Amino acid sequence: MVLQTIITGLSIGSIYALMAVGYSLVFSVLNFSNFAHGAIITLGAYIAWAIMVQFLRVPFLPALLLSVLGAGILAFLNERIAYSTLRRRRAPSLYLMISAMGVAIALQNLLYATIGAKLYALPPVFAQDSFEVGGATISRMDLFAFVFSVVAIGLLHCGLMYTKVGTAIRAASHDMEMVSVLGVNLDVLVAVLFLIAGGLGGMAGVFMGVKYMVYPSMGWITNKAYIGAVIGGLGSLPGAIVGGMLLGLLEALVSVTTIGSVQLSTYRDVFSFGILAILLIVRPTGLFGRLVEEKL
Amino acid sequence: MRVRSIFGVLLLACMVGGLAVPCESGQAQTIKIGHEVALTGPNATWGQSEANAVKMAVEKVNAQGGVLGRKLEIVAYDNRADRLEAVNVAKRLVEQDKVVAIIGPAQSGVANAIREVNNSAKVPVIATTATNPKVTVQDNGAVVPYTFRVCFIDPFQGTVAAQFAAKDLKAKTAAILYDVGDEYSQFLAKYFVEAFEKAGGKITTNEAFRSGELDFRAQLGKIKYGNPDVIFVPTMQKEAALAAKQARDLGIKAKLMGGDGWGSPDLFDLAGPAIEGSYFVNIAALEDPAIQDFIKEYRAKHKEDPVLPNPVLAYDAVLWLVDALKRAGTTDGEKLKAAMEQTKDLQVLTGKLTVDPKTHNPLNKPAVIQETKGGKFVYVKTFVTTD
Repeated sequence: MVLQTIITGLSIGSIYALMAVGYSLVFSVLNFSNFAHGAIITLGAYIAWAIMVQFLRVPFLPALLLSVLGAGILAFLNERIAYSTLRRRRAPSLYLMISAMGVAIALQNLLYATIGAKLYALPPVFAQDSFEVGGATISRMDLFAFVFSVVAIGLLHCGLMYTKVGTAIRAASHDMEMVSVLGVNLDVLVAVLFLIAGGLGGMAGVFMGVKYMVYPSMGWITNKAYIGAVIGGLGSLPGAIVGGMLLGLLEALVSVTTIGSVQLSTYRDVFSFGILAILLIVRPTGLFGRLVEEKL
Repeated sequence: MRVRSIFGVLLLACMVGGLAVPCESGQAQTIKIGHEVALTGPNATWGQSEANAVKMAVEKVNAQGGVLGRKLEIVAYDNRADRLEAVNVAKRLVEQDKVVAIIGPAQSGVANAIREVNNSAKVPVIATTATNPKVTVQDNGAVVPYTFRVCFIDPFQGTVAAQFAAKDLKAKTAAILYDVGDEYSQFLAKYFVEAFEKAGGKITTNEAFRSGELDFRAQLGKIKYGNPDVIFVPTMQKEAALAAKQARDLGIKAKLMGGDGWGSPDLFDLAGPAIEGSYFVNIAALEDPAIQDFIKEYRAKHKEDPVLPNPVLAYDAVLWLVDALKRAGTTDGEKLKAAMEQTKDLQVLTGKLTVDPKTHNPLNKPAVIQETKGGKFVYVKTFVTTD
């Protein structure tokens, strides 16, 4: 049963990680928490629903690709419309964060107003979804999502390490002003950043749609991913992954623990948020974070 | 065309005339019954159907000579299922129309909202589908004197599910997965545990999750370990679908059960084959043999199916009221209320109606068990609980 719990935890954690990366990427360069990320994830899932269920019958892989692309473009537009002016005006990051919250609420309500609160499911990817390993059941979709997330994050890592744009992004995360003085076009750099963050979010949204379901407030779960990112250290890519995984594991373990007659499953969120609070006191920069002045 | 428009004008004239002159026959002898119903707004689908059913019931009673030598008259006003509007409607019914009793409202929140009005005026209310326990019993445990209901209360579904699992499904062990942030779910789970243990069953695992969560595999993994015969999931269709999918992914073969929160057609879109072969408790079903005559009559008259459960319950409410009026021998509020409390084994559409004077809820109200089969809700049986 412990093995099963760990597998469950890792599969939840991998989705948290995928979403947390989006938060961390944006934070690392622009130094603000992009709370609109949850809405982008939701829209990614809705794109998949539209092309897989509602209007066309696109198979899973092309649909995943299109959703990643679509969510990336939406994130890019989100930046252009809501953040770029603030960014150029060098507004404090608090303003950017508030703008992001506004976008998140507006997009969610737009979904309620247009498509409605109805729940939708994305078609299953595998007909026979689970197989047994050593007494534990593993879902094929989970494994698929896990591998895909790892590959995507791995590619992102390589991109950041070995390409010119990646180097620029890393440099910008240290000092954006300096990078711009050195001749890097910041607008292009930020556009690439949001395309990547949005694309990963779109992927997470599609996986969530297949594993769970699609509905306007599904972006709520990104709160957990955000906690994962903070635990790992906002702005740090390995931190986001480790933080997300750790949170998923912890939640699964807490869910099956009983102390006396009290079942901790109902205290799951108390734990997640409690750990966040304690960590911020003990180690404000998270596990892998670096010191920054503002953490919003 | 012309004929039709002339006919329309005539009809309009009749209606206006009907409004201006209180009652064509002019007698004060009709017994007026109010109907609080949502004829417009999001609940209108059920409300319209409920209004139709009440009219059918009253017409039938009147055709048989009425009650206490007088004819019944329904005064139905639209409350849009809105609390404020409902209070206005209640005041109008009580103060202007001087109704002897009110059928409806259908929503628990609305029934609570009008409580002050009907109770201070001593006019009995029979809520149709208000299933929240607090509609008739206050927080301090005292019964609301002039508020009754014809449906069962939410938690009762837990009792029904447990007894059905033990008796019909022959389940010896059961596990529970409920939403700790939701009163409906909590109470259903509590009543299920009590009834199932009373029936000699064993609860292997009693797990909960927090509202809004999507992943129950950690809890289900624990449930799987206890190897129960059935798993009771008293939630809305969303969580039921998720739990079903995740349970089957984990290789859990146990039968799933739930309450009327499951009864939404998109359950099958969301859960797919994972939900097949599960059972849940509902208030009414179109296939229920007991209500076939009513449905036939309704179809003949309105050319469509009644939108359940409201029409059936409202029909029962009229029958209940008529019976109480007969026994009370008067339309006096206090005596009528006393007669309503003493209702016992009254034959209504959905079975036998006995009222608990301490709670104003029906006792052992028959409930419908439905199975999820072939992407549809299939009527299994009408289940009557035992004490």
